[in-house]
Amino acid sequence: MPERVDRDGTPAYRFLGVEVTRREAAFLVIGVVFLFVIPDIAGLSDSLQLSVIHQGLLFGFAAVGLNLLLRHTKLTSFGHAAFFGTGAYATAVLARYAGVQSVGLLLLGAIAAATVMAAIIGVLSLRHTGLYFALLTLAFGQLLYAIALGQSALGGSDGLPIRPGPANQPLLFGTAFSPDVYQILTYYLTVVVILIGLFVMYRITQSPFRNALDAIGQERTRARFIGLPVRRYVWAAFVISGIYGGVAGGLYAVVRQYVRPEGTLFFLRSGDILFMAILGGFRTLAGPLIGGVVLVFLQDVGQDVTQYYDFLTGVVLLILVYGFPRGIVGSLRSGGIVNTRLNELRREPSVLSSWGRTAVQSIEQKVAESLTSLRIILFGVD
Amino acid sequence: MEQTTTDHDTGGIGRRQLLSAVGGSAVAAALAGCSTLLSDGETADQGGQSGGEISDEPIQAGLLTFTRGAPGVLGIQAQRGAELAVQRINEAGGVGGQREIELDVVNEGSNPLDSYNQFIEEGKEVTFGPISSGTHSQIAPEVEKNEIINVSTDGTVTTLYEETVPDPTYSFRFQNYDIMEVVTMAREAVERIGADNISTVAGVNPSYSFGEDEMRVFTQAIQKLTDAEIVYEGFPELGASDMSNHITSINNEEPDVTFSSLWGGDVTTFVRQANANDMFENTTVFGTTLYSAAGDVPGDALAGTDIYSGSRNYYWGLPALGNWQPGRELFDAATQQEGVTVPTAHYMSGYGAVTAWATATEKAIDLLGTYPSQEQIAQVLEGHGFFTPAGYHNIAEDHQGASNSFAGQMVYDDDLGAARLDDVNTYAATETAPPPGVTGSDWLDSWSA
Amino acid sequence: MAVTPTAALVQTLNGIQFGFILFMIASGLTVILGILDVLNLAHGELFSIGAYTAIGVFGFIIGIVGPPGGGVVGTAVFVLAVLAAVLVTAAILLPVGTLFEAVFLRQIYDRDQVYQLVLTFALLLILLDVKKVIWGDSSIRTDAVYSAINTIPTSELVGLNYPTYNVFVILVGSVVVVGLFWFFERTKTGRIIRATAIDREMATAIGVSTDRVFTLVFALGAFLAGFAGAMAVPPTSATLEMGTNPLVLSFVVIVIGGLGSLRGAFVGALLVGVIRSWMITLYPPGEIAAPFAIMALILLVKPEGLFGTWGETA
Repeated sequence: MPERVDRDGTPAYRFLGVEVTRREAAFLVIGVVFLFVIPDIAGLSDSLQLSVIHQGLLFGFAAVGLNLLLRHTKLTSFGHAAFFGTGAYATAVLARYAGVQSVGLLLLGAIAAATVMAAIIGVLSLRHTGLYFALLTLAFGQLLYAIALGQSALGGSDGLPIRPGPANQPLLFGTAFSPDVYQILTYYLTVVVILIGLFVMYRITQSPFRNALDAIGQERTRARFIGLPVRRYVWAAFVISGIYGGVAGGLYAVVRQYVRPEGTLFFLRSGDILFMAILGGFRTLAGPLIGGVVLVFLQDVGQDVTQYYDFLTGVVLLILVYGFPRGIVGSLRSGGIVNTRLNELRREPSVLSSWGRTAVQSIEQKVAESLTSLRIILFGVD
Repeated sequence: MEQTTTDHDTGGIGRRQLLSAVGGSAVAAALAGCSTLLSDGETADQGGQSGGEISDEPIQAGLLTFTRGAPGVLGIQAQRGAELAVQRINEAGGVGGQREIELDVVNEGSNPLDSYNQFIEEGKEVTFGPISSGTHSQIAPEVEKNEIINVSTDGTVTTLYEETVPDPTYSFRFQNYDIMEVVTMAREAVERIGADNISTVAGVNPSYSFGEDEMRVFTQAIQKLTDAEIVYEGFPELGASDMSNHITSINNEEPDVTFSSLWGGDVTTFVRQANANDMFENTTVFGTTLYSAAGDVPGDALAGTDIYSGSRNYYWGLPALGNWQPGRELFDAATQQEGVTVPTAHYMSGYGAVTAWATATEKAIDLLGTYPSQEQIAQVLEGHGFFTPAGYHNIAEDHQGASNSFAGQMVYDDDLGAARLDDVNTYAATETAPPPGVTGSDWLDSWSA
Repeated sequence: MAVTPTAALVQTLNGIQFGFILFMIASGLTVILGILDVLNLAHGELFSIGAYTAIGVFGFIIGIVGPPGGGVVGTAVFVLAVLAAVLVTAAILLPVGTLFEAVFLRQIYDRDQVYQLVLTFALLLILLDVKKVIWGDSSIRTDAVYSAINTIPTSELVGLNYPTYNVFVILVGSVVVVGLFWFFERTKTGRIIRATAIDREMATAIGVSTDRVFTLVFALGAFLAGFAGAMAVPPTSATLEMGTNPLVLSFVVIVIGGLGSLRGAFVGALLVGVIRSWMITLYPPGEIAAPFAIMALILLVKPEGLFGTWGETA
């Protein structure tokens, strides 16, 4: 049962090692309830598709894993689709060639494959940091993509179905359900996996391991001097983050019952996973998950609304970079930019016009600056 | 949707009963359906005989196709074909003389499964498409689960009805599939050059499943028909900007036949660069879908080439436009649509898929006197024969369309402002497809060498 | 498979030709990376904008000059017109690059590197649709340039069957390489840029305006990408997706050569070009995977890439 503790003067509750204030607990409960009622909400409107939200959650879950690296070790992985894809393809291969039918076993296979893949890629790419690391992970991801495309045993560009056994679908609790029920049940499975995954991630971020990673992220050399086994710690974090990707990929395969290289391994999927983390707020635990749902939803709705949906996504990302660098969750929480600005506005409504003025001024200034630079480049200094 | 569920509950008619009812009048029934499609509405009233029991609510239909990007070259043809068929049906009073079709077109794009699911959630009564074979493998099992008929325009992967959905009920495919178009070109190569003159064969095919499958089947077929040896197999990426490496490899081998399943913009890149490297002095190219670039490939690139292309189950110039009024009318209507320089085989994919479903539904209405259920339409579609301006088509018992296929020399036509096929050969479906129940590779294996 | 000496030579030339195009793209990317410390994901889009723009410019300039006339003079005029068109195209990208740097990138140099990735990716997405608005959804081509230049006999003179346009690319590419090295080794501006790359603070201390250097470098990168696009498009067509592949291959090239190293980019581009070319002959299925496999191998042996990072030498 939750026990009451005192945190910096505010009453808080502690349960299974998770410590929350009353306000946070309320958000937590609302969040969990919301996750569980999504299938009912999605049924209300044609434009809200459960499968789209589900896909957003799965990619977002991979982003939660990536965030362990990004947030603490300051390593930017641009190849996380490698693990998502490995998980998805492991599931497909097990279903197709080993005839594995149970969802649980398929997911275990996905986890095992992703762990091995992350261990290997980690050893090869963690010698580097910064952009070198980003480019290396990207290249390994593309290598896997090229392999999946080139192997006819993996279905090439057509991909592989996940339809084992006489029931033509993976079995939950040894039973084959009708398509509608299967969709909902796998959704709840995802929700449960996500909650467990978030809980584990929370415990990791409360542990000394996290402090070590933070130290490594701030200054590697110093971390090495104080005796931290830097390489091994970063590698462990890399493997953990890869496992999250693998679980998400395995679930994706089980849910959609089909994997193709472009949807799972292409480097733009790696980009998506990375941008989800930042969109949702990479300094937060659940941010990447929300970023995932928002980005996938945006792309899906964007396609229906306009043929210029790439532009739409691009503009959202631009606004994010300049206006809300802490992401959706980071900006909304207390002390975030949204609250601060709203408070300012509440205190002094005229502040709005001064914001507008500042914005226009800065744009004018930028244009003038670039015109000057252009003149200098084309005609030299006068 | 509402009608279908009630009919479903009352059981409709049994399969055997239906087949006996159709019996020898299948062709007549198909022609009746077809005349509704082609006429100016005179025959529409006949379809409305049973009007009292058929609502006049429009039929919601969905088409999944590539509406943009490189594969849009194929997809937009299919879209325009489907749109013309729908327009003609509606002008003739709609299906059964009463129900017009409303066609919703969605891009196949990167998540076709979501788009397909959306169709189902919106309550579409029938879906058409897709173009890509990968997408088709993905949605065909969903079609069976949802029990809503899909007539695919293309998605011509051979394994679809052999492995992916071995015993389909609601999934049908109008266009000739991979093995048919490849066997057509293997026969065409023998026809044009002579089996004795083919001892070396090379391939340049797009590096994805479609291209790899086509090359595999061609290898199997040509080695049964001739003593040829495969000397080179290149797989340029889709949209590759530079194919000179593949071309140089072919020049190195000087094969008698070069097989290619390149399509769309890749054809232009390949032909242009091959010409610059004098490749056509060394080989003759036989391709299944090269003619899909008809409106794209420029005259100077085709000058001096030695290319034969298949055109699946439709070539606009055969029978000659002057002699065949429906063909003439289709050509004129198609070339007035946006984005169609000349209608290609993919145009007929769209036109024919819609026509197959509409004529079958019409036939079922005639037989039943009420609006049929999904299951009943599916039963009529099995073994359904019907006409389009491309001629007579048949959807075989195994749900696979089987039509004549065409191949000829690809040349540029200045008057047309596009490529055309010269000296076209026609191949009957029995020459290019295995009999129902036999898989493609078993069939090829059974050929005596 | 027996490869004749002629085919071997032609195949190598094909690889070199592809390598030069790759170098023109990768050089801009690596210089921007070396100095601004920014990985420009939108670089492939600048390349494709170059290709699209070139089609219009080619049409316009050749419309004035006319098709290659008979004789040496007529041919020379045509070649000069093509060169002028390429240069005009690249020049059009200068202001594009300048605006990009000044308006978008300059704000975020101090931020986490990951924001640069998001920003340049956002620009990639936006440019994708800007192209769609301007040039439409289907591919476009320029017909005259490739076939006209190919009518000029060059390789036939030495008994080889090789398109003259490819010779043209290799020649122009060589000039670009020499020009770039000359710029960075010999000119004052080039040295200032290199000094900034080596030590940004020191350069500021001796009075270099890093803002200007950054803008200049980014504009130069855009210029090179546009140049590459204009050179690459005549044998093929401009499509919306054409930027992706060159971008990813450029990543491979600069990782092989060493991030920020111009010399490394040159060697890396030729290496990738030629090995890929041979792979297509000898083991066709390896075509797509080859560049990544080469990269992985080289990094196992030399983790910093072949030439380390940009610094004392270009």
